[in-house]
Amino acid sequence: MRTKSVCLAWFSLHFLLLVTVSCRETLWLVARRLTILPGGPGSYPQKAEGVAAAILGQHLAASNPLRQTFATYLGLSGIDAGYGYFAPNVANSYRLLFELHYPDGHTEYRLPRVNRPAAGLRLASLLEQIGRTQSDALREYMVKTLAGSVWREYPEVKAIRATLAQMVQPTVADYVRGKELVYEPLYTYDFSLDSDSIQQSNQ
Amino acid sequence: MNQIAAWRKRLVDFLFPVQSDRWLTFLRFGLGLQIVLYTLSLRNDWNYLFAATGNGLVTRDLAEALLPLENGFVPRLGWLVALGAHLGVQEETVLLAAWICLFCAGLGLLVGLFCRSFAILAWFLHLCAAKSGAFVSYGVDDFMTIGLFYLMLSPLPDRYSLDWRLRKLQPKNVLLLGFSQRVLQLHLSLIYLFSGLTKCLGSGWWNGSNIWRALTRPPFDIIPPEIVVRWHSLLPIVGIAVCLIETGYPIFIWLKRTRFLWLLAVVAMHAAIGITMGMYLFALIMIVLNAAAFGAGVFALTCAQPGKARGETIASVPD
Repeated sequence: MRTKSVCLAWFSLHFLLLVTVSCRETLWLVARRLTILPGGPGSYPQKAEGVAAAILGQHLAASNPLRQTFATYLGLSGIDAGYGYFAPNVANSYRLLFELHYPDGHTEYRLPRVNRPAAGLRLASLLEQIGRTQSDALREYMVKTLAGSVWREYPEVKAIRATLAQMVQPTVADYVRGKELVYEPLYTYDFSLDSDSIQQSNQ
Repeated sequence: MNQIAAWRKRLVDFLFPVQSDRWLTFLRFGLGLQIVLYTLSLRNDWNYLFAATGNGLVTRDLAEALLPLENGFVPRLGWLVALGAHLGVQEETVLLAAWICLFCAGLGLLVGLFCRSFAILAWFLHLCAAKSGAFVSYGVDDFMTIGLFYLMLSPLPDRYSLDWRLRKLQPKNVLLLGFSQRVLQLHLSLIYLFSGLTKCLGSGWWNGSNIWRALTRPPFDIIPPEIVVRWHSLLPIVGIAVCLIETGYPIFIWLKRTRFLWLLAVVAMHAAIGITMGMYLFALIMIVLNAAAFGAGVFALTCAQPGKARGETIASVPD
């Protein structure tokens, strides 16, 4: 009987957290008008999202023990994220193209690469995070790190230009009419060994 | 008061059913296979993905630094690297050791030797990799963490494991067999409910454009677009079917009459995702979780009379 009571208590807490995390993510999407439902600032979904965040202790200070306990448990059990994969709609993906400038003046083009397809899916995930981040500093740092990995492979290169582009897919109708996948440049970064400088331009 | 007591009893009866350990065999074996394939698929990229500044694709330090402050107790590879540095072992060696240990844990789970220890080790090391590689992780890592978390807490070993056969070990609390499976079943139901609901809220699933985009979006564009476009009239049907299968899962998987059909549909859906989009590991983990949660009951010929199942571990449910 005692085992059952302990299990019931754990079950109640576990599923409360699980449902709350999932609800919060769905409400987040609705509140930001990413779904077919009406949302927006001050809407019911946004208020409900705030309630869900409060249940998870996210209105408490980051150092609060209750918040830390919840966050740690969510991380350990793998229930810290919702389940909206490819939803509500399939987002555009990103491409990072490196333009390698050699001392003799010639130029080559390279994409970040990994050894196996399984890691390729992870690379796509990385590029998505770089493309979606709102932080310019974080984006620049990550592109710089990726450029560094290319530089290690081609140490004779003098300068690298990295261009982050969004892949815009044609619709079925557009594809039938002959339209292909388009790469829309979002950010360009120039890295140089000589000056150790970085220049960024948004396009 | 009587009504509350009656409800509580119904809840307890539901959460603690009499159950064989067949589902646990599915889960242990499936997760063992998943871990082995996961490690093998990353064997040439492991250090590249998880090394810190200067050696990797993106720095592991950055991912670990960006882990939310309140997640301070969630394991990460940086802990192991720091421990290795303390003992004079290089980062590269520590990462390699972590890969080998994870691979061995997968093999251990596959054959059922030292089940509990390997389940804990696999959960810990995979979680380290998933959190330290947050920038390079995707859905498969979430589901592997969930599966390993439940496996670690389940009443291991199962009767088909070497622990049972060779070491003569048996689970201490068989009462938890039914409970653990119920938790997995309910968790999967919620996963599909929210996944399906969120898809239903996107216009692209109703007109099939999301299926087109998913199939032609790099790096998932395994099938050439010119082939997909030939079948474009089927795309809305597939999109709506995905919404129905996922949203209907929490209802139809529980009804005896529709359980087999729904399980078949969801397994077919994941197999199709694996084959047409190259997400083999993602497909496998979802099939494993479904097989463990509902497949064991569907395919077990002896399940109709659990009390008479030949020689299987059956949980008694004392009040």
